[in-house]
Order: sequence, then structure tokens, then C-alpha cells
Amino acid sequence: MVKVLVLIVMQTVILLGVAPFIVGLIRKVKARLQCRRGASVFQPYADLVKLFRKQPVVSTTTSWIFTATPYILFASTLLAGLLVPVFVSTIPLSFAGNIIALVYLLGLGTFFLMLAGLDAGSAFGGMGSSREAIVASLTEPAMILSIFAIALTAGSTNLSTIVHKTALLEGIVSDPSPHLMAFAALVIVALAETGRVPVDNPATHLELTMIHEAMILEYSGRYLALVEWAAGLKLLVFLTLIANVSAPWGIATSLEPAALGIGLAAYLAKVSGLAVLIGILESMFAKLRLFRVPELLGVAFILALLGVIFFYVLRG
Amino acid sequence: MPLITPLIGSQLVDLGSALLLLTCFGIVAQRRLSACVDLFAVQSVFLALTATLVAFLTGIHHIYIAAALTVIIKAIVIPRILKRVIERLNVTRELVMNVNVPSGLLICGGLVMLAFFITQPIIPLGFLLTRDSLAIALAIMLIGFFTMIARKKAVTQVIGFLVMENGLFLGASAAAYGMPLIVELGVFFDVLVGAIIIGIYTHRLHDAFDSVDTSKLTILKE
Repeated sequence: MVKVLVLIVMQTVILLGVAPFIVGLIRKVKARLQCRRGASVFQPYADLVKLFRKQPVVSTTTSWIFTATPYILFASTLLAGLLVPVFVSTIPLSFAGNIIALVYLLGLGTFFLMLAGLDAGSAFGGMGSSREAIVASLTEPAMILSIFAIALTAGSTNLSTIVHKTALLEGIVSDPSPHLMAFAALVIVALAETGRVPVDNPATHLELTMIHEAMILEYSGRYLALVEWAAGLKLLVFLTLIANVSAPWGIATSLEPAALGIGLAAYLAKVSGLAVLIGILESMFAKLRLFRVPELLGVAFILALLGVIFFYVLRG
Repeated sequence: MPLITPLIGSQLVDLGSALLLLTCFGIVAQRRLSACVDLFAVQSVFLALTATLVAFLTGIHHIYIAAALTVIIKAIVIPRILKRVIERLNVTRELVMNVNVPSGLLICGGLVMLAFFITQPIIPLGFLLTRDSLAIALAIMLIGFFTMIARKKAVTQVIGFLVMENGLFLGASAAAYGMPLIVELGVFFDVLVGAIIIGIYTHRLHDAFDSVDTSKLTILKE
């Protein structure tokens, strides 16, 4: 019991601490590729501190949903983060749920954010919510299927078991193809869910293109800080999921201090590597037109479906 | 002690075939013609790698030659020819298709399932290392065929044809460790000549109709 509590505290601190760094790192990589010097990678921390100090302004037309959403979003994303193995292969909250709970905890946050976008009654918020609903409804099947493909190869929906087996090369050696397909699908899903470039541009406030930014346009002060922090956290949860499910090597399998140290270092290296990769991808591709987004997500869905089919056929 | 055990070897062949199938879906989803050509070149490289692996595992040397020819002809020469056609005709992307992209992707997913379903009774009868790839090879052929039906531009139809040929090559290596060398040489020559002829035909089409849309050919003209 004490162990579980210690793990929960450690993982919470790491997730919350690393999330702004990842956001800053992606911005830095993009700035560098555009021949700019860019802000420091620690700028998002300063932004959060500044926002927490400011007084929030809340429109008089909003209901309780508007003020409750940042807290719900933040809490559900953090809970989802505690269902993923981060640097130890044991999951702190493994008694509370598995990979399916993870998907729907993230979904809960998205749902409330969409409601909050509609709540203030501004045209932009409604537009953002409507677009988010399109994207979310299309990413969900792809995400669930890709996770099923991985779960099938490991024979369990518990992420801790999946990571254990992949780390010991059990699942991936007998079935490299489902893993490959699921990995490709998960990358597309992660980009779409966290509002990165081919689907949404996190750096713009141009009304024609924005999705996530449109929904949170009415937020200010500490509410905005929580929403931004939760967005960074969601990105980190996805990167962690991808890193640890497809390449879990280096993760600590015991609670020895040495193993924990190696696990933490490996985790930071993997997540930073993926963040740099995202920065490069965002610089390489232009944002898709909104009506082309379903095509991209269709590809993700088909890839995930192929992953599942491959599992049955290649080893049938 | 062999470098790779048969089990891992056959898994690597499966992985190579899966990568081939992945590029097929890329071609189906891609609208930009030059990107389609690039994807086809990448697919041919994967095919050559898979064939090299089969040659290495079985010790049949003529598959190496076929793999080398695949790289030279399908990954370098034919993409060059097609890119030149695209450049000269000044068509960059395909906006109107017979089947739109999302439903095309779903149909291709169905085709993969169909291919797996058809080969299911045959595969256990085989005794070769590479027998699982037969299902993927059939799926690639069907997707190539589908691309030829779904697209309207002559260039993408050629790519569909070439994808079918890649599927056949993979199928031959999967089911019989490759065809005799003389047959493969003939096939390569045919494919090369086919690509050149279709390139010329595309030019003629462009001259006659000011478009490379093959559906214009159905219109009777005095």
C-alpha cells in the first residue's frame, strides 16, 4: 500500500513536471528549424506561473460547466497518466482500470472541453467544439483498435503486462507486424488528439483553422493555466504510451533505486526523442484542410484494423 | 549455427510484406501524383529487401539478381520516367476520383480481409518459410487492381498496375521461392516496356484531350 502511494506521488510529480518541458522542447525544435533562436525550453513553466497569478475573467453568460471544466479536464488527464507505465513497468492505479479506462478518461476531458466551448455562447467556441467532435469521434475507433492490436499480441489489456511482455520481447517477436501497424496508427491518433500539425496548429489563433484554441478562447487566468497544463499533459501521456508500448527497453522492472534511475533516464530520453520527432514532422508538413482530416484518420483506422487482422492471419 | 533461425527469418519476411502493404495504403490515400510515385519507389525497395531476405534464408542465388533488378528498374528507372511524365504534363494532384479516398481506404481494408479469407485454406498446406506472405501478396494485387479502377489519371493507373506486379513478385517468392530467372527477366522487361508505352500513351492522351483523365476516352468523337 505504501509502495503504491509512493509510486502515485512519484509518477504525478514526474508527469506534471515534464509536461511543460515537452511543449517547450517542441516549440524550440520548430523555432530552430525555422532559423529562429526561439524561447527557452523552460518558457512554458514561466507562462504557467504567470497565468496562475492572474485574475481570471469569466463571462456572465456561462454556467458552472465553464468553471468546472478546467478542473475536470486536468484531473481526468492526470488520472489517465497514472494508468500508463511511465518509468516503472508497474502502474500505480492498475487496480482501478486498464487501457480502455485510459481511452475513456481522456475522452471525458475532451467531452467537457467541448461543452465548455459551447457554454460561453461565442461563435468561435461552438465552431471549435463542432470540429473537435468530428476529430474525436474519428480518432476513438482508431485508437481503441490499435490498442486492441497491441493487447492481442500481449494477451492482456493491462498496460503493465503489455509493457512487461514487450520488454522481454515476447509479444513483439512472435508478431512484429501488428505492433508496427498499431504504432503507425497510434502516432496519427496522438497527433490528432493532441491538436498537432496535420490536424490542428497549436501556434495559431487564426479563426479559419483553429480547433483546440477555439474551444479555450474564453479562458483566462488560472483556468487557462490548468487547460494549457492539461493539454501538455495529454501530449505527454500519448508520447509515454507510444514510447513504452513500442519500445519499453530501459524501463524499471523492480523498485530498486538503481533500476529507477535508469528507468527515469531512459524515459526522459525516449519522450524527448519523440518530442523532437514531432517538432520535425510539424515543420515538414502543412496543416491539412479540415475536410481532408477524415482521410488521415481513415488511414489510422485502417492501419489499426490491419494490425488486428494480421494478428489472426499471420499466426492463425 | 545459422545467423537467423527459420522462425525469426519467416517473421522478418512477414514484416517486410507488412511494410509493402503499408505503402499500398499510402498510395491509395495519396492525392499528389509525385508522392504516389515516391511511395511506389519505397515499396519496390521494401520488395527488394524482402526478396533479398528470402534469398538469404533459402540460399537460392538468382533471387539476389531479381532483387537487384527490382531496385534498379522499379525503384529508380520507372519512377524517373513517371516523374518526367508528371513534370511535362504539369499535373500535380488528382482531385476527382471514381471512389473517394475514405471509402477507398475502407474498400481496401475489405480487400485485405478478402485476400486473407481466400488464402486461409491454402496457407497451411504450404511448407515454405514464406507461406504467410501469400495472403499479403494477394492483398497487394487486389489493392493495385482497385487503384487502377478507382483513379482517373493515367499516371496513377500505371502505378496501380505496377503495384499489382509487385504483389505478383512477392506472391511468387512467397509461394515458390521465386520464378525461374528467365521468367523474371522477361517480366522485368515487360514492366519496363509497359511503363514506357503508357508514358507515351499519356502524352498522346494529353495532346488529344488536353487532360490525362482516361474517362474522356469513353466519349465518341467525330
